[in-house]
Amino acid sequence: MSGTVPISVFNDGAEVLTLLVLLTEFAMLRAPLSRSQVRLYAFQSLVVTALAALVAVNHGLNDLYVIAGLTFVLKVVLVPGIILRLLREAGVELAGSHRLGVATMVLLAIVVSIFGFFTVGSMPFHSSSLPTSALALAVAEILVAFLIVVLRSDVVSQAVGFFSLENGVSVASLVVASGLPLVVETAFLFDLVVAVVVFGVLMRVHHRRTDTLSTLVLNRLKG
Amino acid sequence: MAVEFAPAESQALQVLTIVTLAPFVAGFISHVEARFQGRRGPRILQVYYDIGKLFSKETLVPERAGWVFVAGPVVAFGCYLLVPLLIPVLTDYPLPLGYMGDILGGGFILSLGGFSVALAAAETDAPYAQLGSSRAMTFGGLIEPSILFITFTVAVITGTDLPYFEAAAARASAAAALRPAHILAAFAFFLVVLNDTGRIPVEAPSGTIEFGMLDEGRTLEHSGPLFALLRWGSSMKQLVLYVILINVFAAPWGLAGSERVGPVLLAIPIFIGKALGVGLLFAVIDNSFSKLRLFKITEFMAAAFLLAVLAILVLILGGG
Repeated sequence: MSGTVPISVFNDGAEVLTLLVLLTEFAMLRAPLSRSQVRLYAFQSLVVTALAALVAVNHGLNDLYVIAGLTFVLKVVLVPGIILRLLREAGVELAGSHRLGVATMVLLAIVVSIFGFFTVGSMPFHSSSLPTSALALAVAEILVAFLIVVLRSDVVSQAVGFFSLENGVSVASLVVASGLPLVVETAFLFDLVVAVVVFGVLMRVHHRRTDTLSTLVLNRLKG
Repeated sequence: MAVEFAPAESQALQVLTIVTLAPFVAGFISHVEARFQGRRGPRILQVYYDIGKLFSKETLVPERAGWVFVAGPVVAFGCYLLVPLLIPVLTDYPLPLGYMGDILGGGFILSLGGFSVALAAAETDAPYAQLGSSRAMTFGGLIEPSILFITFTVAVITGTDLPYFEAAAARASAAAALRPAHILAAFAFFLVVLNDTGRIPVEAPSGTIEFGMLDEGRTLEHSGPLFALLRWGSSMKQLVLYVILINVFAAPWGLAGSERVGPVLLAIPIFIGKALGVGLLFAVIDNSFSKLRLFKITEFMAAAFLLAVLAILVLILGGG
């Protein structure tokens, strides 16, 4: 409960940033246009970068500066740029690929994140780098990212959902193991690059075959 | 020896501030809004003139309407007079009557005001007034969960649910004011106020289109002094909500810390300045976002609810 954890400006700041990551995830869930989803993803990555930099400053971890820089270049500039370019080339704008009403989706996501909160919250776990609730928030964010992949029926949303899931994992790793060796962290980021390439190819192939980015046409048999 | 206000006097001054300055704030907002739309707009003091004019007109009561039609606006006005006794308008310490009701109590009184206006509108045979009152009640119920969760947040942070203590908790230190739970609750309440003062998501507060009205639609059948009370009352309700937003959540600074006359009187211009700032912000928001379709209102409510729920969850998880 409140009062047991000392309130400090660093903890507050870190928690507000993690909350922002979660809230952007909710915004992505409801965003009608693929383009705005990608921009939200860029913003979310920017927040993750800021969080990494904050932890780096506060704990004097030099490796984290490098990670923050790499995160910025890769997730804020490169990945959104590539997806936006693919979208422009495809020339289709999907508006509203929601499978449920927005309010229903948000309520569902609230339920899912409460589940994440309490499962993680009941673990006897203490982090030295970030407040413990940040881990719960990160897990909630990962679960909401899953919901995006499930509840949005277009390729771009699903790709963005997957990428933002990786953002959640990054935040979680900041909480659990902020002193992770640089090589391991870089390997994670490299994974993301592979995923972007795969999703890019997938989007193109899907668009060439079906002339749309919607996944709803996939259950039709091809002659 | 400095001159001091008796607590009762400060409390009366709080009510007086709200009653006299609410039309000013309302007039300022519609003036600014008109400027944003490239119109010259009404004078800032226009609301006072309107109210004065309406008081000198006769009251017309629809044929089959009973006493509820007359009582509704009066009860509502009384409710809006009562709420400033409970909330920190000028002083940062609780005044004696401040213990009469907590945030929920204040909320109940505000809802009673809204309810009596809706009842008065339902008393008429006019379809638009009834449409307005039924809409106002329906959507009022939808925003209620968010308000409840905001109250829970305040209760968990302070251990009480008195608005004075939430403000004091936020004033205590920079860390306390930056607590995520406090920020989230403040934002959720911001959305609630946006909705309750008829700005976003669907309403056009000063429109003439009956279909675009929720709260304003209820008053279509009233005239003369009763309508004056309703207009005055709705501007007071708006200012009361601003008070809670500013002095409890967003910026509880600049309030009088003692009963000395100087600080208490100084708190009035500071408060009005803050209220005009919030009004300006609301006017900007109102003019830069398009209105939603009526049935998309749930999306807006869901956003407010999300923030309020997250506030309480962060608190329960620890620290927050």
